[in-house]
Amino acid sequence: MAAVDVKSPAVPWRVRLARLDRMGSPYLYVAPFFILFAVFGLYPLGYTGALALTDQSPLDPQTSFVGLDNFATLAGDPKFWTAVRNTLGMFVLATVPQLLLALALANWLNRALRGIGLFRIAVAIPIVTSTAVVALVFGMFFARDYGLVNWVLEGVGIGGIDWRAERYAAWVAIASMVDWRWTGYNALIYLAAMQAIPRNLYEVAEIDGASRTRQFWQITVPLLQPTIIFTVIISTIGGMQLFVEPLLFTSGAGALSGGTLGQFQTVTMYLVQTMRAYHQWGYAAAIALLLFGLIVLVSAVNFLLVRRIRGER
Amino acid sequence: MRVLTRGRRVVVAVISAAALVGVAACSDDGDEPGEDADITLVIDIFGEQGFGYDELYAQFETDHPNITIEERGGGLGLGDYNERLVQQITAGAGAGDVVALEEGTIVQFYAQTDRFVNLADHGASDLQGNFLPWKWEQGAPGGFVLGLGTDVGSMALCYRNDVLEAAGLPTDRAELAGMWPTWEDFIAVGEQFVAAGIEQKFVDAATNFYNTVLMQVAGNGTGYTYYDIENNLALDNPDIRTAWDLTIRMIEADLSANLNSFSDEWNAGFQSGSFATIGCPAWMTGVISGAAGDDNAGNWNLTDAPGEGGNWGGSFLAVTAESEHPAEAAELVTFLTGPDGQTAAFEALGNLPSSPQALAGPEVQQASNAYFSDAPTGQIFGAGAADFQPVYLGPQNNAVRTEFENALRSVEQGERTPDQAWQDAQDNAAAIG
Amino acid sequence: MTAAPAAPARVRRGGPLAAAGLVAAAVLSFFPLYWMVVVASRTNDVVYRWPPAFLPGGNLGENVRRVLANQDAAILKGIANSFLVAGTITVSTVFFGALAGFAFAKLRFRGRHALLLSILLTMMVPIQLGILPLYIMMIKFGWLNDIKAVIAPFLISGFGIFLMRQYTLQAIPDELIEAGRVDGCSTWRVFWHIVLPGLRPAAGVLGLLTFMQHWNEFFWPFIVLADPGNPTVQISLHTLNSAYHQDLSQIFAGMVIATVPLIVIFILFFRQIISGIMEGALKQ
Repeated sequence: MAAVDVKSPAVPWRVRLARLDRMGSPYLYVAPFFILFAVFGLYPLGYTGALALTDQSPLDPQTSFVGLDNFATLAGDPKFWTAVRNTLGMFVLATVPQLLLALALANWLNRALRGIGLFRIAVAIPIVTSTAVVALVFGMFFARDYGLVNWVLEGVGIGGIDWRAERYAAWVAIASMVDWRWTGYNALIYLAAMQAIPRNLYEVAEIDGASRTRQFWQITVPLLQPTIIFTVIISTIGGMQLFVEPLLFTSGAGALSGGTLGQFQTVTMYLVQTMRAYHQWGYAAAIALLLFGLIVLVSAVNFLLVRRIRGER
Repeated sequence: MRVLTRGRRVVVAVISAAALVGVAACSDDGDEPGEDADITLVIDIFGEQGFGYDELYAQFETDHPNITIEERGGGLGLGDYNERLVQQITAGAGAGDVVALEEGTIVQFYAQTDRFVNLADHGASDLQGNFLPWKWEQGAPGGFVLGLGTDVGSMALCYRNDVLEAAGLPTDRAELAGMWPTWEDFIAVGEQFVAAGIEQKFVDAATNFYNTVLMQVAGNGTGYTYYDIENNLALDNPDIRTAWDLTIRMIEADLSANLNSFSDEWNAGFQSGSFATIGCPAWMTGVISGAAGDDNAGNWNLTDAPGEGGNWGGSFLAVTAESEHPAEAAELVTFLTGPDGQTAAFEALGNLPSSPQALAGPEVQQASNAYFSDAPTGQIFGAGAADFQPVYLGPQNNAVRTEFENALRSVEQGERTPDQAWQDAQDNAAAIG
Repeated sequence: MTAAPAAPARVRRGGPLAAAGLVAAAVLSFFPLYWMVVVASRTNDVVYRWPPAFLPGGNLGENVRRVLANQDAAILKGIANSFLVAGTITVSTVFFGALAGFAFAKLRFRGRHALLLSILLTMMVPIQLGILPLYIMMIKFGWLNDIKAVIAPFLISGFGIFLMRQYTLQAIPDELIEAGRVDGCSTWRVFWHIVLPGLRPAAGVLGLLTFMQHWNEFFWPFIVLADPGNPTVQISLHTLNSAYHQDLSQIFAGMVIATVPLIVIFILFFRQIISGIMEGALKQ
């Protein structure tokens, strides 16, 4: 395919071919990604932007240009802001304990202990379980009338909780699904980073008389900072897109509503509800754009926050 | 240049070859309308048990050896089914040759009749006498025969013999019906039930109660629910308020088991008997026997619902414009919705016919349901079906209904006062438009 | 990989707290999966059993038989589709990841830094953003309900390229490539005969992670596979769960079936999977 124009006979074609190979091959090798991304990423992105300026609906053959009306409506849409609040709330509720637990777990996994390999396997196993399965199992744990969690709570004297009715209860239940699936994953990531910390740092600290706890906070955590930023960003992207767990948390009708008052409706659920149940495509496109903005914003805030925490120590 | 030209020629040759192969493949698929061409008709339906058509398909296939029928969607809930259907119809791709349209959703397609085959072009106009007048009207907006009726959702009240007995209430059908001529009376019976102090509840959930009452009241009142017949949102419809207030009274009397419809705990409730009664459109009998299982045969019973007769649910079959075999598809629709077809579906599943001939026939009139303590289902459901007033359901009916259901459930959960919840429902419904 | 990180002089012994914490974590990790089997092996009365059931029953075979026979959920078709989807995406992701990763790691070309950065940025773009247009596109392609719609958008991943680039940088010495060049190998032959064999460990890890991820994918198939007769296995589970009549022991039997292939893969390759998770971090 390369030997199209062979004009100047001064340079032998093999040399020209080799030069072409050197010049062109890299672009050829990276091109598939960019072509695919253009088709399935960039083009839909632009299309979403255009769609957000219309009132397109599959129920109405007429589509008109509405300018920024969708965004104006969105700014005053209580359901949207409830969804934003739920998404952020569940994200914090899921991520903070998850990463702290993962740090502790990694610290323990980094010890010499009989059967440590088996423990590493054990904490990795939730990763192979699909979110749908996690959501359905935990959905039963948190059943109102016959659920395992309420059985335990009643056993210890606290009454049963209607996990799908009370906002914060629902957040806790859903956050626990996320935590179950991802804590081990993050622990392994931290473990890898801990293993890369030179031992002599700890030895020096020990000579100085620093306690184990102090060593953990003053040596381990600061050196883990890039890794922590990485896991926070990954959790942020996942957390802002939370969908399957809260969707399957409702058993029966009206799952996209995320509770009777939208107690646990996330932005993605509201997006899909607007698209599929309300048939407001233009409005749904506006929600999609704001969701992206939210991800970028929260990622940036988290990035700065984690850096700052380190700076203060 | 020559390379290019040759290249182009090759391209042309390849395309023509592909086209030829394509044509050949098409004729193998039976795209040509010849008698002997093999055809597959895809029919999209919904609901746990489907529409009870298996035997009818077999018969149709026997009569038309070149046709194979493929049914999709069994097990799909109405909400999921409808969301997908709207998208497929709008896209003009992905839907079956024949699609089921539920009464709450058919209105969405009134504005898109160009996406469907006018069944009048396939002789459906002569069939008007096969359907209850109001059912025919719903399926034929402005004379365009969009869909032919399958079943109607005539209403009864289903109840658990053993649970009522435990509360010291009668279980005789006539006696119970006599105790609750109106919904107010029904709530009074519920209060007696509560006074017995057993752990079960009187009704399953506010939502089913509300929908049953609303469809009844609207049928005998304005004739519409959330949208008037010009498709304007009509949230000030007094019928909505009547049904709402009755439901709130029911909740405040502590009658509701507070279950989410179609949830696993709701399903389990049929089996374990955690509630005594449920509003029962004809199609609900199939849901109950499926959920409660064979062990509970004879525990369930059914009788006349309080209030005046009314209709909730029921469907139509339509042929999509994208169908490549509109004539055959229309023939299948005519066959399935004919009086004999409807009778067969009734016998298979209990869906009440929308055909007066089928309703009057002995199969329906003398039908009793062994699962429901041998209740004469044909008579109970069939009574008055001919006199129903149709209730007009607007284009976004299901989405708006969900908002009202959510609001009522938030009262049940104790998360909202009735006034707050009413305001929520109004606001959220208005946003859907 | 070639050089081990700072030599671990001695690893600390774990105390009783560490042991207790790890045992608790292991129990918590396993319990939901154990419970899934418990429910899958009993009858539907588990839904309203009080106290809840903790021991498996004898109905697993019966429930599995019922879910396999459930035409509506089409779980066998779902499993076949999921293998097709996850398998195709895995092969493609690994191949194109290695190819582009090699280019970024070892080849000099104008704009490569900017291009690599842009790939990293694309990882921030969630699929939700383009969900409507993607959906409309699939309709226009005639791919609605078609398994192609679930495969095509995911054939190449930015993460895969990045992972393979990092590994190539470490594992393939420049001298090796130069030697190939001197022998007159074309860039393609260098990649195919010299680089790719050396990337085998990383390819295995990337492949496993990719397979797991797409076996478990829910959101996009949920949007685009409208016909329950042609699902992926996760959509089969959703169909079972959204039925009018919820048959819980059947749903859970379906969940067991959907999880078993990944458990088998995990048992066979847990070393690679665990190191894969850990590598991914070291190389960010």
